[in-house]
Amino acid sequence: MSDPRILELTRRHFFGRTASGVGMAALASLLGEEAKGAWMAPHFAPTAKRVIYLFMSGGPSQMELFDYKPMLEKLRGTNLPDSVRMGQRLTGMTATQASFPVVESLFKFSRHGQSGAWASELAPHTAKVIDRLCFIKSMHTEAINHDPAVTFFQTGFQLAGRPSIGSWLAYGLGSENKDLPAFIVMISTTGKGDQPLYDRLWGSGFLPTKYQGVKFRSAGEPVLYLSNPEGMPDKGRRRFLDDLAKMNQLELEEFGDPEIATRITQYEMAYRMQTSVPELTDFSKEPERTFELYGPDARKPGTFAANCLLARRMAERGVRFIQLFHRGWDHHNNLPENIVKVSQETDQPAAALVEDLHERGLLDDTLVVWGGEFGRTVYCQGKLTPKDYGRDHHPRCFTIWMAGGGVKPGLTYGATDDFCYNITGNPVHVHDLHATILRMLGIDHTKLTYKFQGRYFRLTDIHGSVVKDVLA
Amino acid sequence: MLLNVHLVRAAWFVCAPLLLGQAARVEFNRDIRPILSDRCFNCHGPDATVKGIKLRLDSEAGMLADLGGRAAVVPGQAEKSEMLKRITAEKAAVRMPPVHTGIKLSDREIELLRQWIAEGAVFQKHWSLAPPSRPDPPPVKLAIWPKNAIDHFVLARLERDGWKPSPEADKAALIRRVSLDLTGLPPTPAEIDAFLNDSSPNAYEKAVDRLLASPRYGERMAVRWLEAARYADTNGYQTDAERSMWRWRDWVIHAFNRNLPFDQFTIDQIAGDLLPNPTRDQIIATGFNRNHRGNGEGGIIPEEYLVEYVADRVETMSTVFLGTTMGCARCHNHKYDPFTQKDYYQLFAYFNNIAERGRYFKYGNTPPVTPAPTPEQEAKLEEIERQVAAAERRFRALEEPSRLEQAKWEKSLAGAASVNWAVSRGLAAHVPLGRKQFDGQQFHNAGKLAEFGFYSPFTISAWIHPQAPTGAIVTRAKDVLEETGILLMMQDGKMQLNLALRWLDDALRVETEKSVPLNEWHHVMATYDGSRVAEGIHIFLDGKEQPLKIILDELNQDFRVNEPWRIGGGGGPELRYKGLIDEVRIYSRTLSGSEAELLALRQPLNRTASAPANERSKAEQAKLRLAFLEEHAEAEIRGAWKEWRDLVEKRDKLVAGLPTVMVMQEIEKPRDAYLLIRGAYDKPGEKVGRNVPASLHPLTSGVPGNRLALAKWLVDRANPLTARVIANRFWVMYFGIGLVKTVEDFGAQGDWPSHPDLLDWLATEFLGSGWDVKALQKTIVMSATYRQTSRVTPELAQKDPENRLLARGPRVRLSAEMVRDQALAVSGLLVEKIGGPSVKPYQPAGLWKELSGADYHRDKGEDLYRRSLYTFWKRTAPPPAMMNFDASSRETCIVRENRTNTPLQALNLMNDVTYLEAARKMAERMMREGGSEPAGRIAFGFRLATARHPKPNEAGLLADSFRNQLDYYQTDREAALKFLSQGDSPRDEKLDASELAAYAAVASLILNLDETVTKQ
Repeated sequence: MSDPRILELTRRHFFGRTASGVGMAALASLLGEEAKGAWMAPHFAPTAKRVIYLFMSGGPSQMELFDYKPMLEKLRGTNLPDSVRMGQRLTGMTATQASFPVVESLFKFSRHGQSGAWASELAPHTAKVIDRLCFIKSMHTEAINHDPAVTFFQTGFQLAGRPSIGSWLAYGLGSENKDLPAFIVMISTTGKGDQPLYDRLWGSGFLPTKYQGVKFRSAGEPVLYLSNPEGMPDKGRRRFLDDLAKMNQLELEEFGDPEIATRITQYEMAYRMQTSVPELTDFSKEPERTFELYGPDARKPGTFAANCLLARRMAERGVRFIQLFHRGWDHHNNLPENIVKVSQETDQPAAALVEDLHERGLLDDTLVVWGGEFGRTVYCQGKLTPKDYGRDHHPRCFTIWMAGGGVKPGLTYGATDDFCYNITGNPVHVHDLHATILRMLGIDHTKLTYKFQGRYFRLTDIHGSVVKDVLA
Repeated sequence: MLLNVHLVRAAWFVCAPLLLGQAARVEFNRDIRPILSDRCFNCHGPDATVKGIKLRLDSEAGMLADLGGRAAVVPGQAEKSEMLKRITAEKAAVRMPPVHTGIKLSDREIELLRQWIAEGAVFQKHWSLAPPSRPDPPPVKLAIWPKNAIDHFVLARLERDGWKPSPEADKAALIRRVSLDLTGLPPTPAEIDAFLNDSSPNAYEKAVDRLLASPRYGERMAVRWLEAARYADTNGYQTDAERSMWRWRDWVIHAFNRNLPFDQFTIDQIAGDLLPNPTRDQIIATGFNRNHRGNGEGGIIPEEYLVEYVADRVETMSTVFLGTTMGCARCHNHKYDPFTQKDYYQLFAYFNNIAERGRYFKYGNTPPVTPAPTPEQEAKLEEIERQVAAAERRFRALEEPSRLEQAKWEKSLAGAASVNWAVSRGLAAHVPLGRKQFDGQQFHNAGKLAEFGFYSPFTISAWIHPQAPTGAIVTRAKDVLEETGILLMMQDGKMQLNLALRWLDDALRVETEKSVPLNEWHHVMATYDGSRVAEGIHIFLDGKEQPLKIILDELNQDFRVNEPWRIGGGGGPELRYKGLIDEVRIYSRTLSGSEAELLALRQPLNRTASAPANERSKAEQAKLRLAFLEEHAEAEIRGAWKEWRDLVEKRDKLVAGLPTVMVMQEIEKPRDAYLLIRGAYDKPGEKVGRNVPASLHPLTSGVPGNRLALAKWLVDRANPLTARVIANRFWVMYFGIGLVKTVEDFGAQGDWPSHPDLLDWLATEFLGSGWDVKALQKTIVMSATYRQTSRVTPELAQKDPENRLLARGPRVRLSAEMVRDQALAVSGLLVEKIGGPSVKPYQPAGLWKELSGADYHRDKGEDLYRRSLYTFWKRTAPPPAMMNFDASSRETCIVRENRTNTPLQALNLMNDVTYLEAARKMAERMMREGGSEPAGRIAFGFRLATARHPKPNEAGLLADSFRNQLDYYQTDREAALKFLSQGDSPRDEKLDASELAAYAAVASLILNLDETVTKQ
């Protein structure tokens, strides 16, 4: 930025437009300033500065994990009463089933901690940190199939095309770190990939593409194209960048287009990322205690455990929205066998993340969310045998948990009926969850908008209300 | 991070007053409607009445209406106007807009409203809904500057503010700009030289004409159209498997290249199938409306997605041609523009009449489809048809003697021992069995004789003598009940064919309406034609085709299993067969009904032959004839017969292997359409017919109310929108921003045009030329406005950062595909082959696999270096280098171009093998074609990318950079070799590696220059 007039121009344009405060952080970075200082909460005092969202893709069964339904033991094998189902639509996979025999969890439940919250034997580590968690047992959604349901959780709309929650936050809040993206996504490579994921789940929709999530990969380079090619040492790259900057500077002087100045700063930032990302993914300085906490898998890149540890390291560095995807929860059949495996992969690392954040004093302003795109049916899909059963998709009630960032620890919110089929109290819709997450970050969900095709779009569309009861 | 600069560009409001100019008088469309629309229409707009709100501010009548002694607007009397009272009220409870909405009016906006009422409150119909008039180019002071009418409009506007246009760009900049704009590729050094050395007055025009005539022009124009039409190579949901629409892409490229008039271009794509005697091309063109995503996920509710597909068509058409946000009227009346929800569903009714399923196939194209041979394939097909005809003639010539010979043979047969024959063409397996008895416990393992999948036609034929109503006859399936595979079986007496990957949602099951009688012999034959639908299955009993009941038609994926063919079993112990089975035949083709008759004949040939000819059935005659021709005729006849049938088979195989395109094809009886309450698929309201929105021009009377009428309506001269919307989008291709900035929205919420008269002039020019697309491009690039230098003075940058007033030439970062195509072009790697299936160039390994299991296998050879519009586009994992540079994701229709400036782009250009290989090949060119001195070679490379020679200070910098890299690579030759190892293309071994690496580093630097990735 050689020409002070251009700098001044840029600044004025920016602040002139952003009466809402949205996007200031991005400008601050552009100007090479610390983003932290420039940003002020636009609507409320935030209780969370960042979010770690553990997305359990496929739809974990609430009945096997957290939503204890003792009555089902007696009702095993009986047909789901019409009075409970009330004619609700089913997926095309079971709609033509001749009967809908209910089946109880094969896994034992007990109460844990001061709060006495229920958890099954599938979640022993989660049980240990249960007093830091807030369960919502009355989540519900509209979609009954994976693609639209995950898309709905990620963007507030079932069809592709809208910005993801992380990109809304990158747009609204910018980054706390000038060397790392504001929105990072990680996918476990070890989870059974029973359901595909899509780049658009962290895409920016109609927001400019710079707000899209950056996928960190466990194999190859963590960020695409991050490393210099062989035969181009760092010293050579530094010289390359210096020469490039000088050339671009000459062009700026001649053409005067502020875009050229921006290009120069982007190359500098690319260079900084080349250092900051490897530093971020280097676990060699983590003490032994870390691996005891997260489990030995944390040493294996691509595991959920390693990604949870990375998430903590990102949180420490101020990444705004960190999202982990772990697949393998789509248990249409062989549920008892499969859920054990996926629970073992996820239980300890998720609990460790909460504990670790707490120990480091980060849990206070980091919100952790755990949950899938829908729940599972009380009735059996396929053959019901003494040791085996399956469950179909169930959007009408399911359980998620949250921790830190201003949620009430030790709370269990919302309730379901004895069949775990319908909500009996305090329903929380996906839009409500979004509104609540935004509220914790200091944003009024009705005011984080972007004009597209003549309309002011929001993450929560025209819906959503903050679930104040779960806020501390 | 991921910084932002674009917000700076977006922040044009600072120059809004500048666009408004100093005109004292307030104008409704320009000044007032945007305020009302944005702040008031949500409640007092077109949707107000439905909500029970009386006051409407979107019409003159509504504003002036007497609502109980009060009117919102009293012309000339601001103080008496209720609207003004309310927006300035002190009391929050009375003030508009209501406090709870968070919507506010600024003082300036209130002042504008006051002034407008005071000046008489003259209402105007929304500008874009009135047909464009033909404005005269306004007079200008600087009369020598304009080169065509465009410049009059631009200059007159500049002069109003006392501004001057910029000087013309130098010739090198101009040739690069116009080459990139018209062909998407930079000029070659020879093209630059030719232009620089041409001092004739029409040198520039000659260059423009050359570029417009280049086949590269069609590829360039096609890219934006592909984005608008949401073209992709995959289905877009869940598994997101491949589909095949590339023949439609070929059509688009070709249409631009042959300069198909835009009205015909539109009609072909919207309703080519409904034209009288449509050509194959016109049917392929309708793929436009099938490019939307299709959901094949198990368990979806088909009705829900049928609605989504039709909605996508309505919204895409509305955005692309009308620049309207029709999608807003799906759930309720449009909040801002005069479109009702009924309007929306009347448009919907044009598009819901094709025979499509809600659940698309997971893999491949979903009907309706059309075979779409390439011109080469058409030629091949014609050739083979000629061969078939010739072979038939040869055989027919022998017909007479063959009949005589056959008669002799029949006589000899009559006395012979048992002789038989069965259809043999395509026979994949024959299991004679010898009337094997099955006891309901065992089965016969026939081995893995033939494998059939999703797309494979096959036939199963057998003689059965069932003794129980349920049991497997011939299967290639897992031996578990209701599992994967092929099962020909009896179920409760009915004959069933099952093709399944997974029960119940990925399976196909049909059964005969009638039962097969037990305890007697019957012949059964089932055929599948590879079409993946129940309609493609036929079952014959004793040679007669049976009426079928479709029980499941949800087959979606391949059903191959690693299992043997089982006779009398498969599908679990529950399905073991009881009875006899004989003569099982499996064919790798679909046998016809008459072949079924032959197979169902019990009598051996010798017995048939012994009967008098007039007592034989037609089938018996045919069986004798075929048996003779295939096995017993003398060599010449047998040979002629075989040659003919072989050629027919070859032709059929060719036809079956032709690429297809999903297209529009009306079903005979139109489906009913309903207004869907709140847009929900399962909440039909009032039944609606087909019609166009009442607020726009009417349909031509007397034409049938089908899609063709709609297509013609889109390009009707009375249509106020299409010509403007399309001209505006073309404009964006050159200037980076539209005359109407909101290219997708010409409605009340859209932006006011920067040059309304110029837009109308362009639209009417386009119409007047007979929708001549190339002529319009030429007019734009011939203008002095376009030819200005793009240098920005601080004053200009401050007053008009977005260049809305066009006091300078365009300066815009290249679009995603141009960034790559340019690198391929300057390095000499580009393969200029037009059209064809999509290709898979370099992409970091594992990107598909980590999302969905299917892996990306990149191509080798020339497919690595095709233009980017041919790159395989997987919707859920689009090519990362394209997405980094703001390509649209192809999920839905996108017409707005975006340009961001991010560190990921920097990393991409520096480290992606695509650009490193290009740098190496560019370095080889520098060394071979740039003379013998470093300075000349560097200048040559610099000019390849920028079309100009470096200035002395630039040359000095680059030379210095080169020397530095050379020092390094000379001391570390290993590093040089590694640096040169990027990409598949071979390195020129004749060139010194250290030197080449240093040039490659400089070439990489050149490819990373802001100037290189920018059109300026």
